[in-house]
Amino acid sequence: MSLHVVRAVGLCTVQDLGRRGHMHEAVPPGGALVPELLAIANRTANNPDPAPAIEVLGQLVVRAATDVLVAVDGVPRLLRAGEELTVSSGGRRCAYLAVRGGIATPRVLDGHGTLLCAELGAPLRAPESLAIGAAPETHATPPAFTDGTEIHVIAGPDHDAFAAGGLALLTSAPYRILPSSDRVGTRLAGAVIPRAPAYRDASRPMVRGAIEVPRDGQPIVLGPEHPTTGGYPIIAVIASADLGRFFSIALGKAMRFIASR
Amino acid sequence: MAERLGDRAIRFPRPQTSARAIVSAVRAWPGVVDVVVARDTVAAYFDREPQIDPANIAALACANEPVEPVRDVELRVIYDGVDLEHVARATSLGARDIAKLHASATYVVEMMGFAPGFAYMSGLDERLQLPRRETPRERVPAGSLAIADAFTAIYPFESPGGWHIIGRVVGVRMFDARGPLLRLGDRVRFVS
Repeated sequence: MSLHVVRAVGLCTVQDLGRRGHMHEAVPPGGALVPELLAIANRTANNPDPAPAIEVLGQLVVRAATDVLVAVDGVPRLLRAGEELTVSSGGRRCAYLAVRGGIATPRVLDGHGTLLCAELGAPLRAPESLAIGAAPETHATPPAFTDGTEIHVIAGPDHDAFAAGGLALLTSAPYRILPSSDRVGTRLAGAVIPRAPAYRDASRPMVRGAIEVPRDGQPIVLGPEHPTTGGYPIIAVIASADLGRFFSIALGKAMRFIASR
Repeated sequence: MAERLGDRAIRFPRPQTSARAIVSAVRAWPGVVDVVVARDTVAAYFDREPQIDPANIAALACANEPVEPVRDVELRVIYDGVDLEHVARATSLGARDIAKLHASATYVVEMMGFAPGFAYMSGLDERLQLPRRETPRERVPAGSLAIADAFTAIYPFESPGGWHIIGRVVGVRMFDARGPLLRLGDRVRFVS
């Protein structure tokens, strides 16, 4: 049982829910950019939530070698042997293609996903054949996912790094998500957040969803492949409930941060 | 004492304990899935809203060393880095003296960060301690042996980098499917 990659444009990788327990070795968790959408695709294909599936940041064309049930996000489809399917991210930043049984990839460092920064796995390239796994069949209702561009943040912790009113600036006007964004960092363009003059950069632990501010004042939101330590101060961190929503906003679109209590 | 790092992690000052003792103690806290030890701060990552027990954090100051003994690692290196001349000028030492000084110390992996398997090793001779490059290089080859501030390190992967390259490691990969070659607490010696 296999799936042939006919064409891969942009970044298409096998992803699961990421690796835990290796951050002290400077290995970030990685995993799907939007775990909620991965779970929806997996449940729609009758897979367990963490089954390895394909994350598409761009476009992917696959051809089935045998009849197989697949799901693109929440839409199921029976793909006949020899039939081609095109999966495009577009409305959202990423789309997930799940295959009944999951994509068979070796378990390395407690995960199956591609982690580019650690050279574990590699982007999909045509022509390539992907083996289909034997994940147990499940029947769970896919969770709901609500798109949105209002993203809640929790202030800090590097309050002393910014001039007074930094958080108010961050939440005052929309930011645009730049196309140069990747799985390491999502670059934003909008109001410049000025630094406190006395602040000196120091290498500190980082977290997915941290909004760090380089010297140019344009925020970067750390994604699944973020370095585990970094030198830029963190003005706020995206609330865990809104992380998937943030990372699903299409490149080029505008979004806005809202301070949580 | 602990600060919120979002709603799934906390950050607090690094206690005066070895990094590996901190990691093994913090990983035993309820709900903790990951730990990062940086130079001055530690972060604990949770699978739920963090429960912060100040007593737990205070107890880290006398956390036990893990039972596994500290490992001794010897790495073969060649001192032929592109920054040797610059380091020589900045330190008023000859290239051979730099190699000799660097290879004469025993280093300890004090923290890991920046890239998977990137180990910050303390123990660098004061005469070799220089600030990072003004402008980082866009590409440093994998296996490059470098120094900056009070640390020495080896780049596990090709990446941008602002440290001074004094050589390269030979015969080993610093990171592969088994994980990093160097771990917190390792005692490391360089043989040229």
